[in-house]
Amino acid sequence: MEPILQTTDLTKYFPVQRGLNPFSKAKKFVRAVDGVSLTIWKGTTIAVVGESGCGKTTLARTIALLTKPTSGDIVFDGRSIVSGKTNSKLVYRDLQMIFQDPESSLDPNIKVGDTIGEPLEGLMEWSKNEVKNAVEKSLAAVGLPQDSVDRLPGQLSGGQKQRVAIARAISPQPKLVILDEPTSALDASVQAQILRLLLQLQKDYALSYMLITHNIAVAEYLSDYMAVMYSGNLVEYGLTEEIMAKPRHPYTIALISSAPLANPWKRNLLQVEIRGEVPSAINPPPGCKFNPRCPYADGICSREIPKLKEVSSGHLVACHFVEKTA
Amino acid sequence: MTCWRRVELSNLVRVEDLTVCYESRGGKVTALDKVRLDIRSNELLAVVGESGCGKSTLALAIIGLLPNPPARILNGEIVFRGTDLIRLDQANMRKYRGTQIAMIFQEPLSSLNPVYKVGDQIAEAIMVKRSRDEGMAQVESDFMQKTHKIDPPPKISKGFRYGKRISGELKDEIIASLKLVRIPDPEHVIERYPFELSGGMRQRIMIAMALSQEPALLVADEPTTALDVTTQAQVLKLMKELMTKVKTSVLLITHDLAVACQVADRVAVMYAGDVVETANVFDLFSKPLHPYTEGLLSCLPTGSKSKVDLKPIPGSVPDLRSPIVGCKYVSRCPFVMKTCSERKPEFIETMENHEVACYLHGEKNGTNSTNN
Repeated sequence: MEPILQTTDLTKYFPVQRGLNPFSKAKKFVRAVDGVSLTIWKGTTIAVVGESGCGKTTLARTIALLTKPTSGDIVFDGRSIVSGKTNSKLVYRDLQMIFQDPESSLDPNIKVGDTIGEPLEGLMEWSKNEVKNAVEKSLAAVGLPQDSVDRLPGQLSGGQKQRVAIARAISPQPKLVILDEPTSALDASVQAQILRLLLQLQKDYALSYMLITHNIAVAEYLSDYMAVMYSGNLVEYGLTEEIMAKPRHPYTIALISSAPLANPWKRNLLQVEIRGEVPSAINPPPGCKFNPRCPYADGICSREIPKLKEVSSGHLVACHFVEKTA
Repeated sequence: MTCWRRVELSNLVRVEDLTVCYESRGGKVTALDKVRLDIRSNELLAVVGESGCGKSTLALAIIGLLPNPPARILNGEIVFRGTDLIRLDQANMRKYRGTQIAMIFQEPLSSLNPVYKVGDQIAEAIMVKRSRDEGMAQVESDFMQKTHKIDPPPKISKGFRYGKRISGELKDEIIASLKLVRIPDPEHVIERYPFELSGGMRQRIMIAMALSQEPALLVADEPTTALDVTTQAQVLKLMKELMTKVKTSVLLITHDLAVACQVADRVAVMYAGDVVETANVFDLFSKPLHPYTEGLLSCLPTGSKSKVDLKPIPGSVPDLRSPIVGCKYVSRCPFVMKTCSERKPEFIETMENHEVACYLHGEKNGTNSTNN
């Protein structure tokens, strides 16, 4: 299998100003993404899961070149898109993004047809006619009626708006689509429609997906690979099936057992043993960032940052005491 | 023969034929359409449904906080321990709201006062309860804002104004209530302002305030939607534990079927202003009767794409501005019959403790459908 995207030691720090003195030297940083190495394989879906503030959205935005990484490298489709001269137009064409809230990602004053068509004129340098055909094709692909070309987003329901956002993303024939919480603003029945649509499109257009979500059930349903992030670090990576069946990092275990199951006979939520909350990203605890909440924490955990270790083929875990969870 | 008007003594709240509409320039939206629902003593009843189905309207109607206008209660009664809450005036409603019926909202930051310390806010809740228990004729709405008007001023009042530390047994009581909701280091937390605390801590403080009143009913409107999954698990677990400790009933409003399934004793499913099915949580998930409930359950992703085939419900929710004669699920229902669009199916008990509004089930509704 070929990788479509690879990041090596990708970091993104945001500077924060504390206090009113603009000349204060002691600059602090929010370490939103702190050394993430991740591989996305062609034609597969990787789910990046974690709680709010763990850096999953920043990771996605950095990969999509919406913010510049602080350090590290991103190789997309065989070329580095960070260092050297990058043809960003090519990246924007091949790498598309679908956002959480279609309400705010669509311009309320622009008709659906133009929302989908306008980027095509710039990115693909197609003629008006070609663009029109492409718009019709992508509307059909996402199951919207052809007359929605002349509609404004305000005239559509939440699910239809998200379909428009999907149509816009797939119309330049991208290779990788980043889905940032694509269904969390939607109701259960609409979520099911959108998830089915995403699977269908992946099959039809041979797309690779990077799914950013906090919803474990959605991640399990849609993804082949799973990457678990905690406070800017990748703590576990592997096949979704394997991680769901046998999570190894103590945080992954807590995360999966906190996700409510739709099964009243398995009341996992009432058995959860997790204390505390996600640490501050400005002053993270020393060593492993999970150590204040971890049931296995020991002396070494607050001194050394654990590295990703392979526990079985293709299953990486960053924990000093990974053998304890076996 | 099923007796559909069974009234149990153990019912804490009985909602009968409640009709609420919102009036706006765009038309009249019927948010609740003859809703019938019972809340029993010491049970956790989850109301689930998609956005716009009227579940929050139901919660606000029970606690008497519906904004009027635009909302208007057209019909029905909400009987709480023998008193019809709808017929009460505002002054009398206050005796129930906050003390006998407490509420937790979705976003704790907007329900806590940002300029008072957490300890002071809990102290106020406890003070209000005390003065009510002592039978003070008129309880001032807000100790914090109207302390100077109370004669003689309660001892606690000076503390708020001049930033003095809360002392004595009141402090012990506050700390005890914070310990109850498992807040670490409560002595320091009472000196904090809401913005200094995390979302999970804030929501726990809301729960502590609500439960300090020892309410008979706690209405929780999406209490964990703004929280992370691990925090959500902690908060829900806590709510469930406190329920047995304080002996209160909980009405949990949620859009998340999985959450309902994890914590509820009974579940009521709402669709477009109707309660379409209520049942024990185990019955509802093993043998759902209403096609909408069935549809919702098959929408839940419960495994990987290779194993689970999601079956989305086709179509979308009907526009509630135009009056609908028959069953509101007609346009999306796979089992639609001729009767369905002619007359609204009655909400009846078809099995023990399992009520449904559908012509597919129940003798009364069933015979009608065969006649046509």
